[in-house]
Amino acid sequence: MKSFNYNDMEFSVEKAQDRWDISCKKADGKAALVAAGLFAGLAESEVEVRARALVHTMLPVGIKIVGPDVAHPNLIGDLKLVGPDVTHPNFIYWDKDSSSFSR
Amino acid sequence: MDIKGSVAIITGAGNGIGEAVAKYFVRNGAKVVIVDMMQKNIDRVVKDIKDMGGEVIGVQANVSSEAETAKFIKAAIDAFGKINVVVASAGIIRDGMMLNLDKETGKVSRKMGLDKWQPVIDVNLTGTFLTIRDGAEAMVNGGWPGLLVAISSVNKVGQVGQLNYSSAKVADALLPKIVIGEFLMRGIRNIRCIGIAPGYTATPMLTGMNQDALMSILADVHLDRLVEPDEVARLIGHCVENEAINATTLEITGGLCYPNGIAK
Ligand SMILES: NC(=O)c1ccc[n+]([C@@H]2O[C@H](COP(=O)([O-])OP(=O)(O)OC[C@H]3O[C@@H](n4cnc5c(N)ncnc54)[C@H](O)[C@@H]3O)[C@@H](O)[C@H]2O)c1
Repeated sequence: MKSFNYNDMEFSVEKAQDRWDISCKKADGKAALVAAGLFAGLAESEVEVRARALVHTMLPVGIKIVGPDVAHPNLIGDLKLVGPDVTHPNFIYWDKDSSSFSR
Repeated sequence: MDIKGSVAIITGAGNGIGEAVAKYFVRNGAKVVIVDMMQKNIDRVVKDIKDMGGEVIGVQANVSSEAETAKFIKAAIDAFGKINVVVASAGIIRDGMMLNLDKETGKVSRKMGLDKWQPVIDVNLTGTFLTIRDGAEAMVNGGWPGLLVAISSVNKVGQVGQLNYSSAKVADALLPKIVIGEFLMRGIRNIRCIGIAPGYTATPMLTGMNQDALMSILADVHLDRLVEPDEVARLIGHCVENEAINATTLEITGGLCYPNGIAK
């Protein structure tokens, strides 16, 4: 069995016959199966690399959500302040699109 | 296409029809990716499939988010190296009339809000679109033959109280025709697309409902019982193997009729 930590979770990769299972210890201490029956016939060293890559894909960290939080606008009295819609095609990134932006 | 040896992604597979489809595929030798919002249900289904001796990964994702569909598509390829079947079964209901009138005044007292409209469109239509689109992209780029399956509903005919749901489901039913037309124009010949429109099916969505309401539904079903999730799964399994079924939406309702006896 191999184990590694990622994003404050402990993952273990365990051999079950000729295949591999990946489980994860949750915050409540319980283990849950993430994947079963994978990587048949692969060398152990490769299994660990593949298992890490898979876990990184399945549980990505650091996705930055840009754009206005429309669900929770800032309220100042009756005034609702919603940030700019950066996904709008006409939105100008001053640091990228504007020639007047001081670099 | 053989189910055996194929790789299938099933969204909404933590429950109901999606779960039955995933287990049917595993029983028939496919490797499966369980996608759902509910981690607890994913954990249960992944464990069941391990106990069946299957090959499985479970990915928590919201199908209405582009970043999340990209995540489970990549996870499928990381784990199994290809994708052959995509079943977009994630779905929700938020029933209600468009307008409700005050009994005394006859004026509108309430109307369907965006809180009921938008989530149903987001999950049932946008989620299906993103799942099918990104699944197709991976199949084309990987050169893998495949089947894309949208889950519509018999209520695509227009069910009162379900303006949101029926609008999404009629669009899901149409999707295979447009996708296959575009594939023909683009020379993509090895990927098929179909829709499945179940009638009232015995999933927790229905079995938990008011029993009187359930009995009145059954009165309109020629089969005199709900469709079983496994029967829907078997139809999808047949569609994988029968390559002539393409660009269409198949109904599986047990013979659901309008109360006057005309089949829906
Ligand atoms: N049960 C029926 O009678 C019936 C009839 C016709 C069509 N359908 C359709 O079949 C599909 C499956 O229905 P079911 O009865 O199995 O429902 P269900 O509620 O039993 O299962 C649906 C699953 O989808 C998941 N889900 C919901 N929103 C999601 C999201 N945003 N991202 C990822 N997963 C999400 C849920 O967590 C749940 O596990 C749905 O599209 C439904 O509209 C069901």
